[in-house]
Amino acid sequence: MAVATQGASSGINSQNTRTLLRVSILFLIAAAAVASRLFSVIRFESIIHEFDPWFNFRATKYLVANGFYKFWDWFDDRTWHPLGRVTGGTLYPGLMVTSGVIYHALRALTVPVDIRNICVLLAPAFSGLTAYAAYLLTNEMTTSSSAGLLAAAFMGITPGYISRSVAGSYDNEAIAIFLLVFTFYLWIKALKLGSMLWGALCALFYGYMVASWGGYAFITCLLPLHAFVLIGMGRFSNRLYVSYTTWYALGTIASMQIPFVGFLPVKTSEHMPALGIFGLVQLVGLLQYVRSSMSAKQFQTFVITVLVGAVGIGLAGLVGLTSLGYIAPWSGRFYSLWDTGYAKIHIPIIASVSEHQPTAWPAFFFDLNMLIWLFPAGVYLLFQDLRDEHVFVVVYALFGSYFAGVMVRLMLTLTPIVCVSAAIAASQILDTYLSAKKPNLEEVTDAGATDAKPAKKSGLRVSSKPNVGIFTFVSKALVVGGMVVYLLMFVSHCTWVTSNAYSSPSVVLASRMPDGSQHIIDDYREAYQWLRQNTKEDAKIMSWWDYGYQIGGMADRPTLVDNNTWNNTHIATVGKAMSSSEEVSYPIMRQHEVDYVLVVFGGLLGYSGDDINKFLWMVRIAEGIWPEEVKERNFFTSRGEYRVDAEATDTMKNSLMYKMSYYNYHSLFPAGQTVDRVRGARLPDQGPVLNTIEEAYTTENWIIRIYKVKDLDNVGRDLAAAASFDRGQKKKASKKKGPRVLRVD
Amino acid sequence: MRSFLGVVTFLFAAVASAVSTKGNRLLVLLDDVAEKDGYAKFLGDLTARGYQIVYDTPRSEQLSLFELGERQYDHLLFLPTKVKGLGPKLTPNILIDFVNAEGNILVAQSSTHSASTSIGNFLAELDITLPAGRTGLVVDHFNYDTITASEKHDVLVLDAPEPVRDGVKSFFSPSADAVLALPNTVGHTLGAGHLLTPVLRAPSTAYSYNPKEQFDAVDADDLFAAGKQLSLVSVFQARNSARVTVLGSAEMIQDSWIEAKVSRPNGSKVTVANREFAKALTGWTFQELGVLRVNEVEHHLTGDNETNPGIYRVKTDVTYGISISEYAWDSWKPYNLPENDAIQLEFSMLSPFHRLDLSPVSVTKDATVFGTSFILPDQHGIFNFRVNYKRPFLSVVDEKHTVSVRHIAHDEWPRSFVISGAWPWISGIGATVTGFVAFCAVWVYSKPTPKAGKAKKTQ
Repeated sequence: MAVATQGASSGINSQNTRTLLRVSILFLIAAAAVASRLFSVIRFESIIHEFDPWFNFRATKYLVANGFYKFWDWFDDRTWHPLGRVTGGTLYPGLMVTSGVIYHALRALTVPVDIRNICVLLAPAFSGLTAYAAYLLTNEMTTSSSAGLLAAAFMGITPGYISRSVAGSYDNEAIAIFLLVFTFYLWIKALKLGSMLWGALCALFYGYMVASWGGYAFITCLLPLHAFVLIGMGRFSNRLYVSYTTWYALGTIASMQIPFVGFLPVKTSEHMPALGIFGLVQLVGLLQYVRSSMSAKQFQTFVITVLVGAVGIGLAGLVGLTSLGYIAPWSGRFYSLWDTGYAKIHIPIIASVSEHQPTAWPAFFFDLNMLIWLFPAGVYLLFQDLRDEHVFVVVYALFGSYFAGVMVRLMLTLTPIVCVSAAIAASQILDTYLSAKKPNLEEVTDAGATDAKPAKKSGLRVSSKPNVGIFTFVSKALVVGGMVVYLLMFVSHCTWVTSNAYSSPSVVLASRMPDGSQHIIDDYREAYQWLRQNTKEDAKIMSWWDYGYQIGGMADRPTLVDNNTWNNTHIATVGKAMSSSEEVSYPIMRQHEVDYVLVVFGGLLGYSGDDINKFLWMVRIAEGIWPEEVKERNFFTSRGEYRVDAEATDTMKNSLMYKMSYYNYHSLFPAGQTVDRVRGARLPDQGPVLNTIEEAYTTENWIIRIYKVKDLDNVGRDLAAAASFDRGQKKKASKKKGPRVLRVD
Repeated sequence: MRSFLGVVTFLFAAVASAVSTKGNRLLVLLDDVAEKDGYAKFLGDLTARGYQIVYDTPRSEQLSLFELGERQYDHLLFLPTKVKGLGPKLTPNILIDFVNAEGNILVAQSSTHSASTSIGNFLAELDITLPAGRTGLVVDHFNYDTITASEKHDVLVLDAPEPVRDGVKSFFSPSADAVLALPNTVGHTLGAGHLLTPVLRAPSTAYSYNPKEQFDAVDADDLFAAGKQLSLVSVFQARNSARVTVLGSAEMIQDSWIEAKVSRPNGSKVTVANREFAKALTGWTFQELGVLRVNEVEHHLTGDNETNPGIYRVKTDVTYGISISEYAWDSWKPYNLPENDAIQLEFSMLSPFHRLDLSPVSVTKDATVFGTSFILPDQHGIFNFRVNYKRPFLSVVDEKHTVSVRHIAHDEWPRSFVISGAWPWISGIGATVTGFVAFCAVWVYSKPTPKAGKAKKTQ
C-alpha cells in the first residue's frame, strides 16, 4: 500500500488529488483493519469471547435497559454471593457507555440493531480509529507523508493489537488503545504548540481513557516522565509549562469524576509522579522567572535553597503521608512489574492469571513480526534530530519495551509505538530508495565536502563518503523489492496469526475431523444453557473464578467468585472448598448457600485448560489464607510429583476437585484402561465416591461437569452415613467400643 | 349405587373429620389382622377421630407404601409382630423414604416379641438403639404394679411425663397426678441428636435385661441401659417435620391395660391414664398436635407501603412480621409461646448481623403475628431474614427470605451545603471564584502600562 502511495504521489502533484488519495487510503486501511478482525464472526458466529467481555456485555445490557443513573448506582446481587458487588462504582464505565451511546444513536436514526452486535463489532470499529490516530501521531514526528500511512497500516493489522480487538473481544482495551494513541497525539500537539486548547483536549481524552481502562496509569506516568526528561535535558519551555499544567490540572479533575478512581489520583503512589512533576514544573517556571530578575550569584544560592527545600519537603511529605496511611503504597500488581517473582510469592492470585506472566521471546516476533527489528531503527532515526516530540517516542519506547517484557498483556501498550517507529524507519528506506531523482556525481562530491562537518558529527564514517552507489537502479530495485517482500510477508503473517491464534472465541472450541472438516466443541454453552433451563433463578453456582463472568453472562445465575478478583479471601474460600475433603467443603458450601458446583474437566478430550491443571493455584491461594489447613506440599507425592493416578497422595484423592473431576470417569472405559488424556495418567479402576454432592449434569465431551450440593439429611445423619445407607451398607451394630455416650437433656 | 354411596361416604368422612394436617390414611401392621381386636378401644378412638384405617400384615402381597412414587398412606402404625424380617416391602430404606416423603410412623414394641430387623435398622438410622437382640424387658423394683406384677416387677407404674426442660410445650401429660402403666416394656436409648426427644424415661431405679439370657443376674458390662438413660417412649421429628414415635410397651394400649386399675407399692389403687396418653401420643405422631404453620411473612421499610421488596438500602428502618398458627386437634389457633421461649429473627449474611427476639404484635382468630423493627446494618450484600424455630414437639419453622441490601446511591448522600464541616471549603471556593472575577474585572478595565521593561526583557 505504501509502495502504491509512493508510486502514485510521485506522479501526481496536485494538492487536492493527494488529499483525496490520502483520505481514500486511510479509509482502505480502516476497512482492512476491520475486515481482518472479522475472522471469528465468519468462522464461528457473532458471539462475545473469552471471560471479561461477558461481564462487559452484561453490564452494557444493564445500562441499555436501565439507563445511566441506574447503571451508576448498580448494586449487583448476582455476583460474589453473598457479598454482592457495587458494580457501578467498581468498573470503568467508558466501554459500556460508548456502546450505549452508539446504540441509542442508531436507535434515534431508526436503525434497528441488537446491542450484542454493537458489542461484538465495537473493537473492530475502534481499530479503524486507532489506525487513524496512529497516522496523526506519526505525522507529528516526521514530515514524510508516507510514514503516517504506513503507521496506520501497521497499526491496523499488527497481531499485537488484534489479539485484544477481534470482533467479539468486547474488552476495555477495545477502545482504550485508540484513546491511548489519540491522547498521546494530543499531548504532542499541545507540547508543540504550547496551546492550552490542545492541552485541554488532551486532558479530555485522558479523562475518557481513565473512564475506560485501568491502563490509564501508563499515560499518567509517561507524560510526567516525558516532561521530566525534557526538563533534565534543559529543554524547559513555556510550551511545556502550559501544556503540562493544563493537562495535569484538567486531566486530574476529569479522572476524579470516575467513581472507581475517585480520590486515587491524590492518594496512591502510582499517581504521585504526575503530581511531583507538576510541582517541579511550577518550580522550574518560578526559577526561570526569578533568573530574569536576579544576579547570577544570588540566583545560584537561591536555586540551591529552593531545590533542596522543595525536594526535601516533598519527599518528607510523601514518606510521612505514606507511613501515616494517607497515600497508599504501591500495589502488588505494580511491584510485580519490577520483580517478576514477586507475585508468585506474595499474591498468587495475580500470578495465576496467564496474561500476567512474563513474555516469552517468540511472542515478540509472533505479535510484531518484522516491526520488532524496524522498531530500533526508527528510534535511532528519531535520535538524529531529537526534537521534544522525538524524546517522547524514545521514552515511550524504552518503557513500553520493559513492561512488555515483564507482562504478556502489556505487549498491547508497546504495539502503538512499535508501529510508529517502524513506520518511520520503513518510510525512510522507501523515501530514500524510491526517489526518482538521481543527483549527478559532481554535485554530490561538492555536497560531500560541504556536508563533511555535520556528517562527522553524526559519528558514522560511512556517511562522510560520497554515496553514489545507492543511486543506481539495481540497488534501488533491490532494496525496494526487498522491502516490498517484507511488507507482503508481514501482511500474510498478520493474517495468518489473526486467523489461527486470535480468532477463537474460547467459549466455543474448534477441532479438525480426520477428513479436515471443522468440528465445533460446544460444551461450555451446553452446560451454561443447562444451568439456565434447569436450575432455579437464584441457584448459586460455585466454580473457580475463571468461569464466573461466563456463568453470570450466559447462564444468568449468581456466582460466588468471578473474574473481577477484588476479594482474595472469598476466592481463597472457594479454593479451600475445592481443595479440601468433602467433610470440610460441605459446611463451607452450606454457609455460602451453594446449590451447584461446576468444574471443567479436560481428561476425556485432552483439553489442557481444565481445573485439575489450575488446581495448584487454588491450593496456593487457599494456603495463603489458611496455611494451617491447606498445604500445597500434601498435593505432591513424596518424590515431588503432581500426580492424579493411583499414586496420587491421599490429600489429592480426597479433595473435592479431584473427586468431582474423576467421578464415574472409569465407567467410560473397559477395566484397566481408564486414562486421562491431558496428564497422560492411567487411573485406578475404582473411582472416587461422593457423599455430599451428586452429579447433576455432564456435557457431551465431559468438559463441564455440574454437581448438585445435597441438602442436610432429613433424619439427621451425616451425609456419608446416609450415602452408605443408601448403598445398602448397614450401620455397624457393635457400639461397645469406647465409653458409653450418655444423652444429656 | 353401592360404590357411589361408598365414594360419598368416603368423601364425607374425609371432609368432616380431616383431623390430621397430613391426611387420614392410616396403615396398621400386625401379625394377624384378627389381633386388632385386642386394641379395640385404642383403634376405636382413632377411627372416631376420623382415620381411615387399613389393616395388613407384613407378609401381604399387595402391601406397598408407595404407588408410582406417591405415598399410599399418611401414617404407619407398627404393632408388635413375631416375624424376624418384614420382607421386601418394608425394608429400612423404604421406611426412611416414607419419612422423607413426610409420612409419620408409630412403632409399638413389646418385650414378648423381639422387634424385626427392619425396624431395628430403621431406628438405628434415627440414632435410636434397641437392646441387644432387639428385645429386652424393663423392670423396676420400686415402681411396679403390685396387683399384677408383684413377683416379676415388669409392669411399671409411672407418673405422667414432665416436660423435658423449661420452655417446651407439654403435650403428653393428661393431668398433674395421672398415672401410666407400662407392662412388658422394651427400653431404648437415644443418641445425642437434637431431632430426638424422650417423652417418657424410666425412673432412676429401672433397668433393662434380657429375660431369656440374663435370667440370673445382669453383668455390669452387659447392661444395656439403666435409669434415666433408658427411654420408654421417645419421639423423633425429621427436618421435614415427619414424625416417628417409639412406644416401648404395646400392651399399655391394649384393651386389657388401657383403663386398668393399678397400685404402686404402698400406694392406693388408681385408674391409669393410658388412654389419654395414647390419644396424645397418636395425636402428636399423626400431626394433630404441635403443628406450626407460617401463614405469611412480611417485611417492609418502616413507614412504607411496599411489602416484601427485594432490595433495601443500608441503614434503613425495617419492620418484619411473621404470622404463625398452631394446629390443635381440629383447628388452627393462634400460636402462643411457652414461658421462657422466644422466636428469634436472624438477619444474616454468612453470619448473623442481628439476632432479635420477636414479640407478638397482633393476634387474630387463628394466627399470631410476631414482629420487630430494626435498623439494617451498614454493610451491603445479600442478606436473609431467617426465622429458624426448632423446638421439641413442635414442627419445624425455618423461613428464609432473601433480600439484597444495597449501598447508598450517588444522589442519596446529604448535599455538601447541609454538612456544616463543608462550609469552610464552600466558602473557599466562593472566595476563589469572587477573587478571580474581581481580578479579571480589574485586569480588563486597567490601562496598559507603558512598555518600559521591553528593553530589559530582550536581554
